[in-house]
Amino acid sequence: MALLLLLVLLGVFLALGVPVAVSLGLSSLVYILIEGLPDVLLIHRMIGGIDSFPLLAIPFFILAGYLMNTGGITTRIFAFARACFGWLPGGLGHVNIGASVIFAGMSGTAVADAGGLGSVEIKAMRDAGYDADFSVGVTAASSIIGPIIPPSLPLVIYGVMASVSIGELFVAGIVPGLLMSLSLVVMVFYYARRRGYPRDHRVDFCRIWVTFRGALLPLLTPVIVVGGIVTGVFTPTEAAIAAVFYALFLGLIVYRSLNWRHLVRVSMDTIETSASILMIVGAAAVFAWILTANQVAVLLGDSLLGLSENRYVLLLIMMALVLVIGLFMETIAAITILVPVLMPVVVAVGIDPVHFGILLILNLMLGLLTPPVGMVLFVLSKVSGVGFERCVRATIPFLVPLVAVLLLLVFVPQTVLWIPDMLYR
Amino acid sequence: MDSETGAGPEEISDDISDVTLLDIPVLIIFTALLLIVALQFFTRYVLNDSLGWTEEIARYFLIMLGFVGAIICVCRDSHIRLEFLYHYLPILWVKPLLLAVALTGAGFWGYAGWLGIELALRTNANMASVNVPKSYVYYIVSGSCFVMALYALKNFMARRRQSREDVAAETRNPSVETM
Repeated sequence: MALLLLLVLLGVFLALGVPVAVSLGLSSLVYILIEGLPDVLLIHRMIGGIDSFPLLAIPFFILAGYLMNTGGITTRIFAFARACFGWLPGGLGHVNIGASVIFAGMSGTAVADAGGLGSVEIKAMRDAGYDADFSVGVTAASSIIGPIIPPSLPLVIYGVMASVSIGELFVAGIVPGLLMSLSLVVMVFYYARRRGYPRDHRVDFCRIWVTFRGALLPLLTPVIVVGGIVTGVFTPTEAAIAAVFYALFLGLIVYRSLNWRHLVRVSMDTIETSASILMIVGAAAVFAWILTANQVAVLLGDSLLGLSENRYVLLLIMMALVLVIGLFMETIAAITILVPVLMPVVVAVGIDPVHFGILLILNLMLGLLTPPVGMVLFVLSKVSGVGFERCVRATIPFLVPLVAVLLLLVFVPQTVLWIPDMLYR
Repeated sequence: MDSETGAGPEEISDDISDVTLLDIPVLIIFTALLLIVALQFFTRYVLNDSLGWTEEIARYFLIMLGFVGAIICVCRDSHIRLEFLYHYLPILWVKPLLLAVALTGAGFWGYAGWLGIELALRTNANMASVNVPKSYVYYIVSGSCFVMALYALKNFMARRRQSREDVAAETRNPSVETM
């Protein structure tokens, strides 16, 4: 009974716009008081939820992402991608995807990528005469590759909540991220043929070499971060701090584009974003503890297992649930609430937690591209000046290849597990 | 601007007009956290012998960063929350609802702060690697919660003075600064 109240209260608080951390904490507090448990548990569990070494990667990946999203770095990467892929039909569409993939290896959030690199991409496409819809659609769809290819903030949070190795999750994201970009490339070819989009220029190796030299130092970031994690040299937290120091090296010494005011600004923004995430993770720890202590997930698991014992059917049911929740809920909040609920089911039917993690995050990312709370679309609408509703309509066709990739990943677990199996098991 | 070369449109802003002296503690915590983790990194790779205390202390600084940093989120009303309902509500409802939300937050943080003191008083142990009482961290957590409660009350008072139309207009153009 108290448990039902907990879930109802949480839903009501969230819907009314009470901050997610307060919603989780307050509904848990009500439960604790009703059950006559010591209320000091609330703050103790909240602190305990943040008290985790892997979570240290969060502020540093956010900081590195902010530092990398400066004009100097994004434009160099874009110029290199343009020289590499611009000669294909539908040129700048492919460039857009390529640049997003490179950038995905530096930054861990889709929304930051959309705001930084995305504004460069949209501007270049509009200048080259592409229509607004196509420009926004490709940019939006390619920005969600960011959190699938490592580093990735959502995967860090999933790893902490589900007690799964973050290193394994990171390397597991590489193939799915590349498949997503491949599916978008196919989509761009289709549009280019139908609408007769031009090639940007002819293949020019000289230009590729010149832009490569210009972008060489920023391009080393994904090599350091992804390479360090894949080879096991770095833990994710260490990769994050390495990325921060490399970004500072580029900004302060090589390009001299940063002064102390920038550093204070970036630090304040990083603190604000990190703290709002950490408070949710902390409050979710209380909520998760109550669910676990009451074996709620076991109950839910039994009812799900009653529907079917086939793990693919169950995966599809869970994916449908996640998709609906992702439409309304912010990513971090959705992860922290869904993981304690779904994880025992996942384990019970023998789904690999690493496999499930990638599916969960990719699925929630689709929610960033759909109303009512599509954060990526809000950002792109702001930086492109294209109205929100029009951004929504422009992006819908690009959901088709992304959903196709999600289904492929559901039914062919090897696509996700191939690299982690090879490296870790 | 030529998109091939030169600076892009989205340079990091260097506008720090909203940063005040009150933000110095959290900046110190953040810098210290960065340095501690860097130190651990350095000792592990370069000296091949990681300092034992760095991991534990880094976790305590992360806790402090979370709670002290969350004050900024309350202050700027940027805690992550779901806003979609506000796009569909009648304008008349928006202000009372937001006032209630602000009060709820103030109540929760105030209560959490009180619990923090209780927890600090019950904790006698020192940190594992350094001779510092753990309760210091809890006092900082508790203090941050109280400050959050105060800022939430301040937001409540400020909102109360706004007209209903202004409040509604503000929520319909949501800020997208956070994730």
